[in-house]
Amino acid sequence: MKDTDSFNATLAAATCALLGSSVATPVVAAEEAGRWSFDSTLLYYGESDDRVSDVSAAVSALRNFGDDRKLSATLTADTLTGASPSGAIALDRPQTFTSPSGRAAYTTSAGDVPLDDTFLDTRFALNASWTQPLARLYMFSAGFGFSTEYDYTHLGANLSLARDFNKRNTTVSAGVAYSQDDIDPVGGRPLPLSQMLDVGDNSNKRDGSESKDVLDLLLGFTQVLNRTTVLRVNYSYSDSSGYLNDPYKLLSVVDPVTGDTLTRTPGGLGPDGVYLFESRPDTRTKQSLYTEVKHSFGAPVMHFAYRYMTDDWGIDSHTGEVRLRWPLGDGYIEPQLRYYTQSAADFYHASLVAGTAVPRYASADFRLGDFDATTVGIKYGHDTSSGNEWSIRAEYYQQNGSVPREQIVGNQANREQYPDLSAVIVQFGYRFKL
Amino acid sequence: MKKLVLCLPLLALAGCAAVQPWERDVLARPDMSLDNAPLDAAIDDHIYFSKEASSGGRGFGGGGCGCN
Repeated sequence: MKDTDSFNATLAAATCALLGSSVATPVVAAEEAGRWSFDSTLLYYGESDDRVSDVSAAVSALRNFGDDRKLSATLTADTLTGASPSGAIALDRPQTFTSPSGRAAYTTSAGDVPLDDTFLDTRFALNASWTQPLARLYMFSAGFGFSTEYDYTHLGANLSLARDFNKRNTTVSAGVAYSQDDIDPVGGRPLPLSQMLDVGDNSNKRDGSESKDVLDLLLGFTQVLNRTTVLRVNYSYSDSSGYLNDPYKLLSVVDPVTGDTLTRTPGGLGPDGVYLFESRPDTRTKQSLYTEVKHSFGAPVMHFAYRYMTDDWGIDSHTGEVRLRWPLGDGYIEPQLRYYTQSAADFYHASLVAGTAVPRYASADFRLGDFDATTVGIKYGHDTSSGNEWSIRAEYYQQNGSVPREQIVGNQANREQYPDLSAVIVQFGYRFKL
Repeated sequence: MKKLVLCLPLLALAGCAAVQPWERDVLARPDMSLDNAPLDAAIDDHIYFSKEASSGGRGFGGGGCGCN
């Protein structure tokens, strides 16, 4: 190898090492300066078995003020109804629970996974961001987010800076986001691991709100690999602290032999079994590595993404996603496939066994369990003669989980242990300019 | 030589053979933008955040909902 070649190779390696792993992208479609462009969508999300359904509308407005100075704002409204698994196990007998408000009771049929059907919420969210060049090759962005629902308020802000290198073939970026969420549960906050009490007895609940702080750091690296391929690699670190419990989630306390929930005699209207409210740690640190490749095969474009996430609750997850956008007439058709798998949190317990020490942290929330999920979808987009675009997207989401064998006690083996989930997502979109 | 072999993947990653500005016809297409469907992405993030234990990766962690 010639000395000059050796030098170039070393320099490149050093640069690569420095760059390490995007908030911004080197290739962004140009919006017309001085005009507003809008992206709007209407979404239906419906789970099987009368579980959660959501109708959501969102509109996003973007204006380019010239010289790459851009303002974007998105307004979202969600209406959620339906029922969500409470964490209690299914039994061969009906089960009665006190509702979260503490003012009523509800009963689950024998054999069914208990669902809390008092679930109804409307959520509004506003996100806005401003992006502008800071100097040649530098791009700066600042944003904020706000959302509100009946028992939850979110307020967050973020900053990011990106720099282009290598004839703008390489972009390195760094970002920070901070948010504070306030949770004011319906009926008060239950004391962790306290027992569900009769209707009207709120002695194990505390009034007032609790908060959760989240700090996110993101390091991004985007690289044009060749004329038709672009790569993005992101490393992110997220630290949550504060109230991380789900105030509505329960654990059944079961007999060590039969595996059935211990019975309880309500003093009036109230639970007929022993159920404890969950308890999670008050900190959580997550790290993830995200890789995305976009490649054009002439007109068709393939998107591939993979994410690895790990946290200090013992959850590891892998997510893979492939989309292929295929031109069709005045538009395109885009099949989409996503696969997700996660391991359970260390403190995930399908139930708690009576007579054994109650762990400090325990949750039966199925989202902290061991499961796989697959999404299959298709999108069709059509360009109108006036330069706008409408689209429709349909997706099917299926989650299948399992409870570790050592956590299955007695009769539990004969029943549905994990509340598998399937959902249909239908989305209409319209993009237009004013 | 060994060093060169080690550097090759890094060289490829750093795109040391830079794509020139006049060669960006394909990369400049809207469908080649990494964030060409931001609203779809936001909706997906919101759904998966509320049903799975992972979030973020492409951007910030998302969230901002009770999502029960």
